[in-house]
Amino acid sequence: MITVAVSGINAADNPGPGVGIIRALKESTLNVRTIGLAYDAMEPGIYLDHLVDKTYIMPYPSGDVKSFVERIRYIHSVEKLNVIVSTLDAELPVFMDIEQQLAREGIFMLIPTKKMFALRNKGKLKELGEAIDVKTPNYISCTSYGDLVHATQEVGFPCMIKGPFYEAFKAHNQAEADGYFNKLAAKWGFPIIAQQFVKGQEYDVIGCGDGTGQNMGLFAIKKMTTTALGKVWNAVSIKNDQLLEACNRLLEHLSWRGGFEFEVLIEEKTEDIYLLEINPRFPAWVYMSAACGINLPERMVRCLMDMEYDTHSNYSSGKIMIRYTNEILKDISDFEKISSYGELENNQRMEAS
Amino acid sequence: MQTERLKTLAISDSGFIFDPSSGDAYNTNETGIFIINLLKQGKDFNELMDNLIEEYEVSENELEADLLDYIQTLKNYHMV
Repeated sequence: MITVAVSGINAADNPGPGVGIIRALKESTLNVRTIGLAYDAMEPGIYLDHLVDKTYIMPYPSGDVKSFVERIRYIHSVEKLNVIVSTLDAELPVFMDIEQQLAREGIFMLIPTKKMFALRNKGKLKELGEAIDVKTPNYISCTSYGDLVHATQEVGFPCMIKGPFYEAFKAHNQAEADGYFNKLAAKWGFPIIAQQFVKGQEYDVIGCGDGTGQNMGLFAIKKMTTTALGKVWNAVSIKNDQLLEACNRLLEHLSWRGGFEFEVLIEEKTEDIYLLEINPRFPAWVYMSAACGINLPERMVRCLMDMEYDTHSNYSSGKIMIRYTNEILKDISDFEKISSYGELENNQRMEAS
Repeated sequence: MQTERLKTLAISDSGFIFDPSSGDAYNTNETGIFIINLLKQGKDFNELMDNLIEEYEVSENELEADLLDYIQTLKNYHMV
C-alpha cells in the first residue's frame, strides 16, 4: 500500500487538479490510499468517498509556514505518507523549502527547484521562449494607468488585458482596455498584463519531468471550450509533433522536475507556436491523459517510489473530454467532522454504515 | 501540391473530417470526399478535373472555378 497525499481537491467550477490526480491513481495498477489535503470544509473532494480515503484540513501556506509544516508532520504521524502531490501554485514555494526535510522523514515529492520555478515565471517568458525557440506574444506588466497607456501603445489594438492569475479580455480600444484594467485589478489585484493579440487556437501539453531533462510521457490537447476564467471545460486529444518537440526542448532546457502544463497558442495564419504560460504542476484536466493511457500521476508516484514506470507517449488523437457538473448527498455529520475536527475518514464511515 | 497533411486526416463516410495535429473538425460532402481521396492518391489538378468530369455531369468551365475554390478552402485550413 502506498499512501499518497494530494492537495487541490476543490473540484468546483474552477477546479483544482487534486480529484483528477486521485482518480488517475485509483484507476492505476498501484495499491493506493489517498489522503486529501483541503483548505476549506466545503471542498467537494472531501466528500468523494469512492476516491478520497481521508481528508485533513490544512492551514493556508501563505500564512504561518511553521503551522503548515507541523500539520504535515501530524498527518504523517497518523498516515505514514509516502508521497505528496502538490497541485497548487501557492503551496509550491513552501514545499520547495521543506522538500529535503520531508524526504529525510520518508515523504517524497517530485517538484521543481526554486531556480526552475523562477525561470518559468510569467515575467521571464520571453527569455524562455527564445531559449527553446518558441515565439511569445509581446506583453507588458502594468501596475498603473500610466503603465497601461504606454503598454497598449506598445502592443497595439486589439490586445489582451489579463489578470495576474485568471481571466483575460480582448480590448479593441483604450476605453475598453481601461475598463478591463479596472475590473481585473479590483478582482485579482496587480500586475495586469497587456498582451499582443495573436489570432489562433489554444493548446496544452502536459507531462512530468524527472529532473534530468527527460520526460515521463507527454499528452497534448486542443481546448474546445473554456470557462469564463479561461479554464479547459471540453478538450480533444491531438498529436502535433512540433508541439511535442517544443515541449521536449523546454524540459531539456530547464531539466524540469515534476508535473507541468505547457500552454500555447497556434497562430491561425502561420501555424507558429506562441508560448503563453508554463504551469508548474498538473492541470485540473490531468485525468484525461490517464484515461487515454498516459497515467502521469501514476508514473510520478512510481518514479518517487523507485518503481519501474512507462515513459511512452502513445495515445490516440480524437478523444474528447466532456466535463460535467454533478451533485452528491452527504449527512451533516460529515461536515461536522471535517469542520470541527479537521479530518474526515471516508472508509471508516463506510465500514460503520 | 503538398498533400502530407491531408494524408493524416481521419475522414468518415459521412464527410466528417478530423485533423489530429490541430484538433480541428470539418464537414464536407460526397464530392468533397471524392476530391480529397484523389488528392491523397497524389493526383494533380488536371487529373482531378478529368476524374470529376467523368464522375459528374458538369462543364469544364464550371468545374474549374468550383475546384479552384474548393482547393483554396483546403489551403485556408492548411490541409494542402
